[in-house]
Amino acid sequence: MIPRISEQAILLGKQLSLVGILTRAVTPAPTDGPVIVILNTGIIHRVGHHRMFVTMSRSLAQAGYTVLRFDFSGIGDSDPRADDLPPLESCLADLKEVLDWLEKEKLASKIILVGLCSGADHAVLYGHTDPRIAGLVLMDPSIPATARYYLHYLASRLMQLRNWISVLAGRSLIVKMWIEHLVHSVLPGQKSKEITLQNLRFHNYLEQCYQNSVARGIKMLAIFTADSTRQTYQTQMIDAFPSVSFGDQLALEFFSGSDHTFSHEADRSRLIQLVQGWIESINHRDLSRAIANPSPCPDLKFETSIPGESAR
Amino acid sequence: MNPFYFGTAERRLFGLYEPAFKGTGKRGAVLCNPWGSEYLFAHRTMRQLAIKLSTAGFHTLRFDFFGTGDSSGDMIDADLDGWETDVGLAIDEIKDIVGATRVTLIGLRLGATIAARAARRRSKEVDALVLWDPVISGEEYLQQLGVAFKDLQHALSADTGKHLEILGFPLTEKFISDLQALNMDGLISAGTQRILVMLTERLPSHQLFESALAGRGAVSTTVEFMTAAHPWIENSANAGIVPVGPIQRIINWLE
Repeated sequence: MIPRISEQAILLGKQLSLVGILTRAVTPAPTDGPVIVILNTGIIHRVGHHRMFVTMSRSLAQAGYTVLRFDFSGIGDSDPRADDLPPLESCLADLKEVLDWLEKEKLASKIILVGLCSGADHAVLYGHTDPRIAGLVLMDPSIPATARYYLHYLASRLMQLRNWISVLAGRSLIVKMWIEHLVHSVLPGQKSKEITLQNLRFHNYLEQCYQNSVARGIKMLAIFTADSTRQTYQTQMIDAFPSVSFGDQLALEFFSGSDHTFSHEADRSRLIQLVQGWIESINHRDLSRAIANPSPCPDLKFETSIPGESAR
Repeated sequence: MNPFYFGTAERRLFGLYEPAFKGTGKRGAVLCNPWGSEYLFAHRTMRQLAIKLSTAGFHTLRFDFFGTGDSSGDMIDADLDGWETDVGLAIDEIKDIVGATRVTLIGLRLGATIAARAARRRSKEVDALVLWDPVISGEEYLQQLGVAFKDLQHALSADTGKHLEILGFPLTEKFISDLQALNMDGLISAGTQRILVMLTERLPSHQLFESALAGRGAVSTTVEFMTAAHPWIENSANAGIVPVGPIQRIINWLE
């Protein structure tokens, strides 16, 4: 008989305004395992697209991990913050408060963040700043386009008349991306100092985040789908950040048949198995190394933006 | 706002209770969500509706049906009879919290359909019923979700042992059968005192429903059409949209 899953609805954060669901490990993992924290995708509330984060939480709980999924301020069931922080800073502040709660409740000293799209971006931006973070599961995080990406993308679309019409009409996403990429590469003065989820993949700061994460020993699993407006091949992330020595701290997976939100049940099942297997495969001493090697929190400058605006 | 689990050991349901902001009354309201992708996209609207109701003096409970959202159960457990039972559990819960004897039921899309069925069963405890773009015809509903009925029948007859999927959600044989069995007689409650049917799209099934309601005459029913965005559908142009007009109309009608 499968043990019953225990889920608890909780209010989190300094204002007790963040709504979360804590799914407790059915049978605790053999060692002091990490707690898994799942972040919102765009404006979709904590259950995730196609309820994928509920299924994932329960699967991981069956495997012995406690999981928390919650809504950022102003998303889902959570109220906006009272301090009027800009959206991106607000999300990162929420995340810190949630981790503080987990620590206070003695639920975890090691945390693995899980996010899709904007959730992955939040995980990357936050992960390297908090010594409690030991691992990141990133599904379709923002990564810069590479020469090989443009080649793949264009090759797949040159033969379609409607794409030429889009280019001529000025509606082509790829042309807009390419121009923006060019502007940021050729004209350094045009680079914005502010970081938003919208300009993240054009920003050097992203590379610094990954570099810091590697330096801290954070383990990463990056999963990419065949969403061709973002990436077209498995190792694009490595090509996009040539100065980051990921080594064995990064595991890459590519779901060539999946869309951005893992719409098909078979893709979601594979995804959940993959995430669970990766967490179980992580050497817990390595996780502890990440915890024991904190790096100073960098001075970030964010500008007002809508979190997850890029997510569907 | 108080998030909590309620129901039975077999059907643990996630609910969010919003206490009434004004007045000392004991008016309670239960909100019934749509299903599938419509549930996800309409979540923000249902929350805003709950907040507005709370501000208007209603103690409000919105909850996830079994096998949906944060409630227990799997997505393949979709079952209209079971969800009707869930509405009953939610009615019991809000009555217990508030100390009320009667409650208001409000549903959107398939949630409205379930609310109507539950109101029929518990008519003495439901003083008002709001059906916001209810699903009247299962066939029409599936077509709106993008599934042609004949394709469904073909797939089911193939008997592959697997259920179908629609927009990322499983469509089981049981669920399809439940939708096929929807009929207007099962939705009209003779005992409920007041009913508001609020429509923002004109569908053949809605016209039939309107005629059927008019023919009954025994209940006080208002059918209104209003032009408004559909919060249960999401695309790049309307992501996260909350239609203010229908929400305000519901509040005004209830007050």
